[in-house]
Amino acid sequence: MELSGAGTVYSYAVLHHPRNPKFTYPLVTALVDLVEGIRMVTNLVDIEPGDVRIGMPVRVTFVPAAGDMYVPVFERREAS
Amino acid sequence: MARALRGVAAIVGIGQTEFSKDAGRSETQLACEAIEAALADAGLGTDDMDGLVSYTIDPVEETELVRSLGTPEITWSSRVPYGGAGSQGVLLHAAAAVACGAADVVVAYRALRARSGQRFGAAGKPAPSATSGHSGTTAMQWCSPFGVLTPASWMALNATRYMHTFGVTSEDFGRAVVQLRAYAATNPNAHFFGRPIGLADHQASRWIAEPCMRLFDCCQETDGSVAIVITAADRAGDTRHPIVIETAVGAALFEQEVASDHYREDLSVMDGTVALARQLFDATGIRRAEIDVAMIYDAFSPILLMQLEALGFCGFGEAKDFIAEGNLGPKGALPCNTNGGLIGEGYIHGMNLTLEAVRQLRGDSANQLDTPQLALVSASRTGTILRRP
Repeated sequence: MELSGAGTVYSYAVLHHPRNPKFTYPLVTALVDLVEGIRMVTNLVDIEPGDVRIGMPVRVTFVPAAGDMYVPVFERREAS
Repeated sequence: MARALRGVAAIVGIGQTEFSKDAGRSETQLACEAIEAALADAGLGTDDMDGLVSYTIDPVEETELVRSLGTPEITWSSRVPYGGAGSQGVLLHAAAAVACGAADVVVAYRALRARSGQRFGAAGKPAPSATSGHSGTTAMQWCSPFGVLTPASWMALNATRYMHTFGVTSEDFGRAVVQLRAYAATNPNAHFFGRPIGLADHQASRWIAEPCMRLFDCCQETDGSVAIVITAADRAGDTRHPIVIETAVGAALFEQEVASDHYREDLSVMDGTVALARQLFDATGIRRAEIDVAMIYDAFSPILLMQLEALGFCGFGEAKDFIAEGNLGPKGALPCNTNGGLIGEGYIHGMNLTLEAVRQLRGDSANQLDTPQLALVSASRTGTILRRP
């Protein structure tokens, strides 16, 4: 199944403690419901923690992780 | 629906070590101390024990225990999955074992060094395995790449949704915590003995996971061990102060995660606890109004509210009002976690709540209620109802 990468924020949590050195805090974690009906644990990027809202439209972007791997995270999108 | 297991077994002894932040000795040593204390409380010795049950993730090996305690023969042992959510499942296993004759005297135990040992979220912690020792958190592999590394962060994703669905605030969680800390303040066994807080103190505690969990919403990281001795009900009359296991049930729901439970349609309702309530009440005919005191697994304050609703002690979304009316207090409709809970007393992975239920029914709790007859313990996926005989 090919996914569009579009979704909405189902829930979120801005993590403050404990702080693992592999991540930057406050860390915006979220559950995103893709429009195709799949839910993912992920991060939201390029957004102030205080601006995150449940129901917010988001789209996927990929950021480098360990080695040559990338992980799917989400940024804001305009509601269509 | 499974036929309810009713009154076939009894808790005849309880024991524990001190609860601390640095026990200075191994989990095996802690477990031995708690087990010896529990057997002595029952008027029994280590020679009498012939069954053992613990959690799948407990680090203490049965072989080590048997050698260390000098127990001549163990005829039955078992382990229960799902971490703390399975904590009352040890009573279901033990009751079934003594009822069918597989063992005569079963000891349930849990020992951990949650503070001085490996802590969650610490740097250098090995990557979680896909199966996680049957802890019920197989989906950790989908959480850890995003920094969702701790039980607080797993459950925070559910808790924020719960707040959104029902209009619950951090202050609502805080009112539950203030009550837990009031109980802990008068329990000499509690980490927070002598240290009650007000709502402003709760609101001033730092964020762990915003907007749902502040530091004071989180349970303690505790070193210590507890143990419980279980025999068949018809044998328990010979012991000093038996408490009947009126029923003990598990509602595992294998398709769902326990802690990192993110894939159900509606995360603002704890479906596993709704299933647990069906087994505790509908299958037994016990009415909620008959419960005199409840112990509810409070690893984090939001899941205390969510379990109150899923167990049916109030409607969905109504726990905040139920708590604001003082119902969890000693004069309320459902005095709850009278030891201070896992948040106020300490975190022996839920099993210390069972000890407090036993103490209430025996009449020797630090915060003793007026002769309670029935006590409920909920660990969200497993639970028990205990009765003063």
